[in-house]
Amino acid sequence: MNILTTQNLTHTFPNGFTAINDINLAIQAGEFIIIAGTNGSGKTVLMQHFNGLLLPTEGRVLVEGEPVTKDLTSARKKIGLIFQNSDNQIVGQTVAEDVAFGPENLRLPRAEVASRVKEALDAVDLSELANQPPHTLSGGQKRKLAIAGVLAMKPQVIVFDEPFTGLDYPGVLQVLKQIVTLHQKGHTLILVTHDLDKVLAHAGRLIIMEKGRIVKDGHPNDLIEKVEAYGIHKPFGENRSITTMTWLS
Amino acid sequence: MILLSIAVSIASRISDLLSLTFIILVALISSKLPFKKLFAELNYFLFLIILVLVVHSFSIPGTPITNWPVPNPTWEGVNSGLVFGWRIILLVAISMILIATTTLSTLQNVIGWGLHPVPLIPGAKISTMIGLTFTLVPLIFDQASEMLDAQKSRCIAGRKNPIERIFFLVFPLLLQTFRRADEMILAMESRCYCEQRTPEIFKTKTLDWVILLSLGLVCCAIFFQLG
Repeated sequence: MNILTTQNLTHTFPNGFTAINDINLAIQAGEFIIIAGTNGSGKTVLMQHFNGLLLPTEGRVLVEGEPVTKDLTSARKKIGLIFQNSDNQIVGQTVAEDVAFGPENLRLPRAEVASRVKEALDAVDLSELANQPPHTLSGGQKRKLAIAGVLAMKPQVIVFDEPFTGLDYPGVLQVLKQIVTLHQKGHTLILVTHDLDKVLAHAGRLIIMEKGRIVKDGHPNDLIEKVEAYGIHKPFGENRSITTMTWLS
Repeated sequence: MILLSIAVSIASRISDLLSLTFIILVALISSKLPFKKLFAELNYFLFLIILVLVVHSFSIPGTPITNWPVPNPTWEGVNSGLVFGWRIILLVAISMILIATTTLSTLQNVIGWGLHPVPLIPGAKISTMIGLTFTLVPLIFDQASEMLDAQKSRCIAGRKNPIERIFFLVFPLLLQTFRRADEMILAMESRCYCEQRTPEIFKTKTLDWVILLSLGLVCCAIFFQLG
Protein backbone atom coordinates (compact mmCIF):
# COMPACT_ATOMS: atom_id res chain seq x y z
CA MET A 1 0.00 0.00 0.00
CA ASN A 2 1.13 3.55 -0.72
CA ILE A 3 2.07 5.48 2.38
CA LEU A 4 1.06 8.81 0.86
CA THR A 5 -1.25 9.43 -2.06
CA THR A 6 -2.70 12.55 -3.62
CA GLN A 7 -5.64 12.31 -5.96
CA ASN A 8 -6.50 15.22 -8.28
CA LEU A 9 -5.15 17.56 -5.63
CA THR A 10 -5.87 21.20 -6.38
CA HIS A 11 -5.54 24.23 -4.16
CA THR A 12 -6.97 27.59 -5.11
CA PHE A 13 -6.45 30.47 -2.70
CA PRO A 14 -9.33 32.86 -1.89
CA ASN A 15 -7.81 35.46 -4.25
CA GLY A 16 -8.35 33.03 -7.13
CA PHE A 17 -4.71 31.97 -7.54
CA THR A 18 -4.36 28.24 -8.16
CA ALA A 19 -1.10 27.19 -6.48
CA ILE A 20 -1.30 23.49 -7.33
CA ASN A 21 -3.44 21.87 -9.95
CA ASP A 22 -4.51 18.27 -10.40
CA ILE A 23 -1.59 16.65 -8.59
CA ASN A 24 -1.61 12.86 -8.60
CA LEU A 25 1.13 11.22 -6.59
CA ALA A 26 1.71 7.83 -5.04
CA ILE A 27 4.57 7.48 -2.60
CA GLN A 28 5.66 4.13 -1.24
CA ALA A 29 7.31 3.44 2.10
CA GLY A 30 11.08 3.78 2.07
CA GLU A 31 11.28 6.03 -1.00
CA PHE A 32 13.62 9.02 -1.18
CA ILE A 33 12.01 11.59 -3.43
CA ILE A 34 13.21 15.00 -4.50
CA ILE A 35 10.62 17.54 -5.57
CA ALA A 36 12.25 20.30 -7.60
CA GLY A 37 10.95 23.36 -9.36
CA THR A 38 11.41 27.11 -9.65
CA ASN A 39 10.13 29.54 -7.00
CA GLY A 40 6.34 29.68 -7.13
CA SER A 41 5.99 26.29 -8.80
CA GLY A 42 3.83 25.07 -5.91
CA LYS A 43 6.31 22.82 -4.07
CA THR A 44 5.74 24.27 -0.60
CA VAL A 45 1.95 24.43 -1.01
CA LEU A 46 1.98 20.77 -2.05
CA MET A 47 4.14 19.89 0.96
CA GLN A 48 1.71 21.62 3.33
CA HIS A 49 -1.11 19.40 2.06
CA PHE A 50 0.71 16.23 3.05
CA ASN A 51 -0.21 16.58 6.73
CA GLY A 52 -3.25 18.77 6.47
CA LEU A 53 -1.73 22.17 7.18
CA LEU A 54 -3.50 23.22 4.03
CA LEU A 55 -6.65 21.43 2.95
CA PRO A 56 -7.39 20.85 -0.74
CA THR A 57 -10.02 22.86 -2.51
CA GLU A 58 -10.40 19.85 -4.85
CA GLY A 59 -9.16 16.29 -4.68
CA ARG A 60 -7.77 14.59 -1.60
CA VAL A 61 -4.69 13.43 0.25
CA LEU A 62 -4.53 9.93 1.70
CA VAL A 63 -2.10 8.77 4.37
CA GLU A 64 -1.96 4.97 4.47
CA GLY A 65 -5.24 4.93 2.59
CA GLU A 66 -7.07 7.22 5.05
CA PRO A 67 -8.03 10.78 4.05
CA VAL A 68 -5.93 13.35 5.94
CA THR A 69 -9.09 15.23 6.87
CA LYS A 70 -10.42 12.22 8.81
CA ASP A 71 -7.86 12.58 11.60
CA LEU A 72 -5.49 15.53 11.32
CA THR A 73 -3.52 14.64 14.46
CA SER A 74 -2.86 11.13 13.18
CA ALA A 75 -1.76 12.52 9.79
CA ARG A 76 0.60 14.97 11.50
CA LYS A 77 2.07 12.19 13.61
CA LYS A 78 2.79 10.14 10.51
CA ILE A 79 4.00 12.94 8.23
CA GLY A 80 6.59 15.26 9.78
CA LEU A 81 7.34 18.57 8.09
CA ILE A 82 10.63 20.41 8.46
CA PHE A 83 10.36 23.99 7.31
CA GLN A 84 12.89 26.11 5.47
CA ASN A 85 13.59 28.53 8.31
CA SER A 86 14.55 26.64 11.46
CA ASP A 87 14.31 29.76 13.64
CA ASN A 88 10.58 29.91 12.95
CA GLN A 89 9.89 26.38 14.13
CA ILE A 90 11.90 26.41 17.35
CA VAL A 91 9.51 27.09 20.22
CA GLY A 92 11.33 25.72 23.28
CA GLN A 93 13.56 27.64 25.67
CA THR A 94 16.15 24.85 25.54
CA VAL A 95 17.09 22.26 22.91
CA ALA A 96 15.48 19.43 24.94
CA GLU A 97 12.30 21.42 25.60
CA ASP A 98 11.93 22.14 21.92
CA VAL A 99 12.22 18.46 21.03
CA ALA A 100 9.68 17.66 23.78
CA PHE A 101 7.13 20.06 22.27
CA GLY A 102 5.67 17.50 19.82
CA PRO A 103 5.42 14.52 22.21
CA GLU A 104 3.89 16.79 24.88
CA ASN A 105 1.24 17.84 22.36
CA LEU A 106 0.41 14.15 21.95
CA ARG A 107 -0.13 13.99 25.74
CA LEU A 108 2.37 11.18 26.10
CA PRO A 109 3.37 10.27 29.68
CA ARG A 110 6.31 12.31 31.02
CA ALA A 111 8.66 9.29 31.01
CA GLU A 112 7.83 8.53 27.38
CA VAL A 113 8.42 12.19 26.45
CA ALA A 114 11.84 12.08 28.13
CA SER A 115 12.76 8.83 26.38
CA ARG A 116 11.71 10.19 22.96
CA VAL A 117 13.66 13.41 23.53
CA LYS A 118 16.80 11.44 24.38
CA GLU A 119 16.36 9.14 21.39
CA ALA A 120 15.78 12.03 18.96
CA LEU A 121 18.71 14.07 20.29
CA ASP A 122 20.98 11.01 20.10
CA ALA A 123 19.87 10.43 16.51
CA VAL A 124 21.00 13.91 15.45
CA ASP A 125 24.06 14.09 17.77
CA LEU A 126 22.73 16.99 19.81
CA SER A 127 22.53 15.25 23.21
CA GLU A 128 25.40 17.28 24.62
CA LEU A 129 23.54 20.51 23.82
CA ALA A 130 20.26 19.39 25.41
CA ASN A 131 20.21 22.21 27.96
CA GLN A 132 21.47 24.96 25.67
CA PRO A 133 19.16 27.75 24.52
CA PRO A 134 18.41 27.10 20.82
CA HIS A 135 19.48 30.59 19.71
CA THR A 136 23.09 29.73 20.63
CA LEU A 137 23.23 26.91 18.04
CA SER A 138 24.78 27.19 14.60
CA GLY A 139 22.63 27.11 11.46
CA GLY A 140 23.35 23.42 10.85
CA GLN A 141 22.63 22.55 14.49
CA LYS A 142 19.34 24.45 14.38
CA ARG A 143 18.32 22.50 11.30
CA LYS A 144 19.26 19.28 13.12
CA LEU A 145 17.19 20.42 16.09
CA ALA A 146 14.22 20.90 13.78
CA ILE A 147 14.79 17.35 12.52
CA ALA A 148 14.98 16.05 16.11
CA GLY A 149 11.71 17.86 16.92
CA VAL A 150 10.00 15.93 14.14
CA LEU A 151 11.79 12.62 14.88
CA ALA A 152 10.48 12.71 18.46
CA MET A 153 6.99 12.29 17.01
CA LYS A 154 8.12 9.06 15.30
CA PRO A 155 6.84 9.94 11.83
CA GLN A 156 6.86 7.50 8.94
CA VAL A 157 7.44 10.16 6.32
CA ILE A 158 9.68 13.21 6.75
CA VAL A 159 9.30 16.14 4.39
CA PHE A 160 12.10 18.70 4.17
CA ASP A 161 11.48 22.13 2.64
CA GLU A 162 14.74 23.54 1.21
CA PRO A 163 16.89 21.99 3.98
CA PHE A 164 20.16 23.54 2.77
CA THR A 165 19.07 27.16 2.45
CA GLY A 166 21.29 29.58 4.36
CA LEU A 167 23.74 26.92 5.57
CA ASP A 168 27.51 27.09 5.21
CA TYR A 169 29.47 24.11 3.88
CA PRO A 170 29.85 22.29 7.26
CA GLY A 171 26.15 22.98 7.95
CA VAL A 172 25.14 21.42 4.61
CA LEU A 173 27.30 18.39 5.36
CA GLN A 174 25.78 17.96 8.83
CA VAL A 175 22.23 18.11 7.50
CA LEU A 176 22.94 15.99 4.43
CA LYS A 177 24.56 13.23 6.53
CA GLN A 178 21.49 13.32 8.76
CA ILE A 179 19.13 13.01 5.83
CA VAL A 180 21.05 10.07 4.34
CA THR A 181 21.16 8.34 7.75
CA LEU A 182 17.41 8.76 8.18
CA HIS A 183 16.82 7.15 4.80
CA GLN A 184 19.18 4.29 5.65
CA LYS A 185 17.17 3.73 8.84
CA GLY A 186 14.06 3.23 6.76
CA HIS A 187 12.29 6.57 6.82
CA THR A 188 10.43 7.70 3.74
CA LEU A 189 11.91 11.05 2.73
CA ILE A 190 10.54 13.81 0.55
CA LEU A 191 12.94 16.65 -0.06
CA VAL A 192 11.82 19.90 -1.64
CA THR A 193 14.87 21.60 -3.15
CA HIS A 194 16.46 22.94 -6.28
CA ASP A 195 19.99 22.17 -5.04
CA LEU A 196 20.24 18.91 -6.98
CA ASP A 197 24.03 19.00 -6.84
CA LYS A 198 24.03 18.44 -3.08
CA VAL A 199 21.70 15.48 -2.78
CA LEU A 200 20.46 13.97 -6.04
CA ALA A 201 22.82 10.97 -5.78
CA HIS A 202 20.87 9.69 -2.77
CA ALA A 203 17.38 10.00 -4.24
CA GLY A 204 15.55 7.29 -6.14
CA ARG A 205 12.93 9.52 -7.68
CA LEU A 206 12.81 13.06 -9.01
CA ILE A 207 9.59 15.02 -9.39
CA ILE A 208 9.66 18.31 -11.30
CA MET A 209 6.95 20.89 -10.76
CA GLU A 210 6.07 23.85 -12.91
CA LYS A 211 3.21 26.31 -12.53
CA GLY A 212 1.48 24.16 -9.92
CA ARG A 213 1.59 20.93 -11.92
CA ILE A 214 3.83 17.87 -11.91
CA VAL A 215 5.53 17.94 -15.30
CA LYS A 216 8.06 15.14 -14.83
CA ASP A 217 8.21 12.20 -12.45
CA GLY A 218 10.84 9.50 -12.76
CA HIS A 219 14.29 8.23 -11.93
CA PRO A 220 16.93 10.99 -11.67
CA ASN A 221 18.99 9.27 -14.41
CA ASP A 222 16.14 9.70 -16.85
CA LEU A 223 15.38 13.31 -16.00
CA ILE A 224 18.71 14.99 -15.25
CA GLU A 225 19.27 16.13 -18.85
CA LYS A 226 15.84 17.78 -18.93
CA VAL A 227 15.89 19.78 -15.69
CA GLU A 228 17.30 22.99 -17.21
CA ALA A 229 14.20 23.25 -19.39
CA TYR A 230 12.18 23.72 -16.19
CA GLY A 231 14.41 26.38 -14.64
CA ILE A 232 16.33 23.98 -12.39
CA HIS A 233 20.11 24.15 -12.38
CA LYS A 234 21.74 21.00 -13.76
CA PRO A 235 24.90 20.27 -11.77
CA PHE A 236 28.01 21.17 -13.78
CA GLY A 237 29.90 18.56 -15.79
CA GLU A 238 29.36 16.93 -19.18
CA ASN A 239 27.95 13.39 -18.96
CA ARG A 240 28.30 13.63 -15.22
CA SER A 241 27.07 10.57 -13.37
CA ILE A 242 24.17 10.99 -10.94
CA THR A 243 26.22 9.18 -8.28
CA THR A 244 28.60 12.16 -8.10
CA MET A 245 25.77 14.59 -7.33
CA THR A 246 26.28 14.73 -3.60
CA TRP A 247 28.33 16.83 -1.23
CA LEU A 248 29.22 13.76 0.79
CA SER A 249 32.50 12.21 -0.21
CA MET B 1 7.38 35.16 45.97
CA ILE B 2 4.11 37.06 45.57
CA LEU B 3 3.34 36.62 49.27
CA LEU B 4 6.85 37.71 50.20
CA SER B 5 6.63 40.79 47.99
CA ILE B 6 3.29 41.81 49.53
CA ALA B 7 4.68 41.26 53.03
CA VAL B 8 7.77 43.38 52.25
CA SER B 9 5.61 46.12 50.76
CA ILE B 10 3.45 46.50 53.87
CA ALA B 11 5.96 45.71 56.63
CA SER B 12 6.81 48.86 58.61
CA ARG B 13 8.21 47.63 61.95
CA ILE B 14 11.93 47.00 62.17
CA SER B 15 11.28 43.52 63.66
CA ASP B 16 9.07 42.57 60.66
CA LEU B 17 11.66 43.76 58.19
CA LEU B 18 14.37 41.89 60.08
CA SER B 19 12.35 38.64 59.93
CA LEU B 20 11.71 39.09 56.21
CA THR B 21 15.39 39.89 55.61
CA PHE B 22 16.31 36.68 57.42
CA ILE B 23 13.95 34.60 55.23
CA ILE B 24 15.25 36.24 52.05
CA LEU B 25 18.84 35.62 53.18
CA VAL B 26 18.09 31.93 53.78
CA ALA B 27 16.52 31.74 50.30
CA LEU B 28 19.52 33.52 48.85
CA ILE B 29 22.01 31.20 50.54
CA SER B 30 20.06 28.07 49.57
CA SER B 31 19.90 29.30 45.95
CA LYS B 32 23.74 29.22 45.87
CA LEU B 33 23.83 32.40 43.82
CA PRO B 34 27.07 34.44 43.77
CA PHE B 35 26.62 37.02 46.59
CA LYS B 36 29.22 39.47 45.34
CA LYS B 37 27.74 39.66 41.88
CA LEU B 38 24.24 40.14 43.26
CA PHE B 39 25.29 42.99 45.52
CA ALA B 40 27.15 44.56 42.60
CA GLU B 41 23.86 44.51 40.68
CA LEU B 42 22.22 46.37 43.59
CA ASN B 43 24.51 49.34 42.81
CA TYR B 44 22.13 50.26 40.00
CA PHE B 45 19.42 50.89 42.61
CA LEU B 46 21.66 52.94 44.89
CA PHE B 47 20.66 56.21 43.22
CA LEU B 48 16.97 55.38 43.64
CA ILE B 49 17.46 54.51 47.31
CA ILE B 50 19.39 57.76 47.98
CA LEU B 51 16.70 59.73 46.18
CA VAL B 52 13.96 58.12 48.31
CA LEU B 53 15.97 58.85 51.47
CA VAL B 54 16.48 62.52 50.56
CA VAL B 55 12.85 63.07 49.53
CA HIS B 56 11.54 61.43 52.71
CA SER B 57 14.04 63.31 54.91
CA PHE B 58 12.92 66.69 53.63
CA SER B 59 9.21 66.06 53.08
CA ILE B 60 8.10 64.30 56.28
CA PRO B 61 7.45 66.66 59.18
CA GLY B 62 9.09 65.95 62.54
CA THR B 63 12.12 66.77 64.66
CA PRO B 64 14.71 68.68 62.60
CA ILE B 65 18.24 67.25 62.57
CA THR B 66 19.90 70.71 62.56
CA ASN B 67 18.78 74.19 63.60
CA TRP B 68 20.03 75.89 60.43
CA PRO B 69 17.68 78.52 58.97
CA VAL B 70 17.25 76.48 55.74
CA PRO B 71 14.92 73.54 54.91
CA ASN B 72 15.93 70.87 57.38
CA PRO B 73 15.79 67.08 57.14
CA THR B 74 13.86 65.43 59.98
CA TRP B 75 14.69 62.34 62.05
CA GLU B 76 11.28 60.87 61.23
CA GLY B 77 11.93 61.49 57.51
CA VAL B 78 15.32 59.79 57.65
CA ASN B 79 13.75 56.86 59.49
CA SER B 80 10.95 56.52 56.92
CA GLY B 81 13.45 56.89 54.03
CA LEU B 82 15.64 54.13 55.47
CA VAL B 83 12.64 51.80 55.82
CA PHE B 84 11.62 52.49 52.21
CA GLY B 85 15.20 51.95 51.01
CA TRP B 86 15.33 48.68 52.93
CA ARG B 87 12.07 47.57 51.31
CA ILE B 88 13.43 48.40 47.84
CA ILE B 89 16.56 46.32 48.50
CA LEU B 90 14.44 43.37 49.68
CA LEU B 91 12.10 43.59 46.67
CA VAL B 92 15.07 43.70 44.30
CA ALA B 93 16.63 40.72 46.08
CA ILE B 94 13.35 38.74 45.77
CA SER B 95 13.17 39.50 42.05
CA MET B 96 16.82 38.53 41.59
CA ILE B 97 16.32 35.18 43.34
CA LEU B 98 13.25 34.47 41.22
CA ILE B 99 14.93 35.38 37.93
CA ALA B 100 18.23 33.66 38.66
CA THR B 101 16.78 30.38 39.93
CA THR B 102 13.80 29.91 37.63
CA THR B 103 14.00 29.05 33.94
CA LEU B 104 11.64 30.78 31.56
CA SER B 105 9.93 27.52 30.75
CA THR B 106 9.31 26.80 34.45
CA LEU B 107 7.81 30.27 34.84
CA GLN B 108 5.70 29.64 31.77
CA ASN B 109 4.49 26.28 33.12
CA VAL B 110 3.78 27.76 36.55
CA ILE B 111 1.65 30.49 34.99
CA GLY B 112 -0.27 27.87 33.02
CA TRP B 113 -0.72 25.73 36.13
CA GLY B 114 -1.70 28.69 38.31
CA LEU B 115 -4.25 30.06 35.84
CA HIS B 116 -5.73 26.67 34.98
CA PRO B 117 -8.41 26.65 37.71
CA VAL B 118 -9.42 30.28 37.06
CA PRO B 119 -12.67 30.27 35.09
CA LEU B 120 -12.82 32.06 31.72
CA ILE B 121 -9.03 32.50 31.62
CA PRO B 122 -7.24 30.24 29.12
CA GLY B 123 -4.16 29.44 31.23
CA ALA B 124 -2.56 27.10 28.67
CA LYS B 125 -2.96 29.65 25.87
CA ILE B 126 -1.53 32.47 27.99
CA SER B 127 1.47 30.42 29.06
CA THR B 128 2.16 29.37 25.44
CA MET B 129 1.92 32.99 24.33
CA ILE B 130 4.37 34.03 27.05
CA GLY B 131 6.80 31.32 25.91
CA LEU B 132 6.46 32.35 22.27
CA THR B 133 7.00 35.99 23.19
CA PHE B 134 10.26 35.11 24.90
CA THR B 135 11.25 33.11 21.81
CA LEU B 136 10.21 35.75 19.29
CA VAL B 137 11.43 38.94 20.97
CA PRO B 138 15.18 38.28 20.50
CA LEU B 139 14.52 37.33 16.87
CA ILE B 140 12.59 40.56 16.32
CA PHE B 141 15.43 42.59 17.84
CA ASP B 142 17.94 40.80 15.58
CA GLN B 143 15.73 41.52 12.60
CA ALA B 144 15.36 45.18 13.58
CA SER B 145 19.10 45.59 13.97
CA GLU B 146 19.70 43.96 10.56
CA MET B 147 17.11 46.26 8.96
CA LEU B 148 18.66 49.32 10.62
CA ASP B 149 22.09 48.37 9.28
CA ALA B 150 20.68 47.82 5.79
CA GLN B 151 18.99 51.23 5.93
CA LYS B 152 22.11 52.93 7.27
CA SER B 153 24.10 51.46 4.37
CA ARG B 154 21.53 53.08 2.07
CA CYS B 155 22.12 56.46 3.77
CA ILE B 156 18.88 56.72 5.77
CA ALA B 157 20.75 59.28 7.89
CA GLY B 158 20.12 61.71 5.00
CA ARG B 159 16.41 61.75 5.88
CA LYS B 160 15.90 64.24 8.66
CA ASN B 161 12.24 63.48 9.41
CA PRO B 162 12.30 61.06 12.40
CA ILE B 163 8.71 59.90 11.78
CA GLU B 164 9.62 58.94 8.23
CA ARG B 165 12.64 57.00 9.53
CA ILE B 166 10.55 55.18 12.12
CA PHE B 167 8.00 54.32 9.42
CA PHE B 168 10.71 52.85 7.18
CA LEU B 169 11.81 50.60 10.05
CA VAL B 170 8.50 49.69 11.66
CA PHE B 171 6.51 48.81 8.53
CA PRO B 172 8.87 46.12 7.15
CA LEU B 173 9.63 44.90 10.66
CA LEU B 174 5.94 44.34 11.43
CA LEU B 175 5.44 42.64 8.08
CA GLN B 176 8.37 40.34 8.73
CA THR B 177 7.20 39.63 12.29
CA PHE B 178 3.71 38.68 11.12
CA ARG B 179 5.17 36.40 8.43
CA ARG B 180 7.44 34.81 11.01
CA ALA B 181 4.52 34.35 13.40
CA ASP B 182 2.47 32.74 10.60
CA GLU B 183 5.26 30.30 9.85
CA MET B 184 5.67 29.54 13.55
CA ILE B 185 1.95 28.75 13.84
CA LEU B 186 2.23 26.37 10.86
CA ALA B 187 5.24 24.66 12.43
CA MET B 188 3.39 24.32 15.76
CA GLU B 189 0.27 22.93 14.08
CA SER B 190 2.45 20.52 12.15
CA ARG B 191 3.70 19.23 15.52
CA CYS B 192 0.09 18.72 16.72
CA TYR B 193 -0.09 21.77 19.01
CA CYS B 194 -3.07 21.70 21.36
CA GLU B 195 -3.88 23.21 24.74
CA GLN B 196 -4.22 19.84 26.46
CA ARG B 197 -0.56 18.85 26.65
CA THR B 198 1.46 16.52 28.88
CA PRO B 199 1.22 18.16 32.31
CA GLU B 200 4.39 19.49 33.90
CA ILE B 201 5.58 17.79 37.07
CA PHE B 202 6.79 20.28 39.67
CA LYS B 203 9.27 19.16 42.32
CA THR B 204 9.88 20.70 45.74
CA LYS B 205 12.55 20.12 48.37
CA THR B 206 12.14 20.13 52.16
CA LEU B 207 13.87 23.52 52.36
CA ASP B 208 11.22 25.01 50.03
CA TRP B 209 8.49 23.93 52.49
CA VAL B 210 10.49 25.21 55.49
CA ILE B 211 10.90 28.64 53.85
CA LEU B 212 7.23 28.71 52.83
CA LEU B 213 6.10 27.83 56.38
CA SER B 214 8.36 30.46 58.00
CA LEU B 215 7.16 32.99 55.46
CA GLY B 216 3.54 32.11 56.23
CA LEU B 217 4.15 32.66 59.93
CA VAL B 218 5.92 36.00 59.42
CA CYS B 219 3.21 37.16 56.99
CA CYS B 220 0.50 36.24 59.51
CA ALA B 221 2.31 38.26 62.15
CA ILE B 222 2.58 41.26 59.82
CA PHE B 223 -1.03 41.08 58.61
CA PHE B 224 -2.48 40.64 62.15
CA GLN B 225 -0.39 43.49 63.46
CA LEU B 226 -1.79 45.68 60.67
CA GLY B 227 -5.35 44.57 61.43
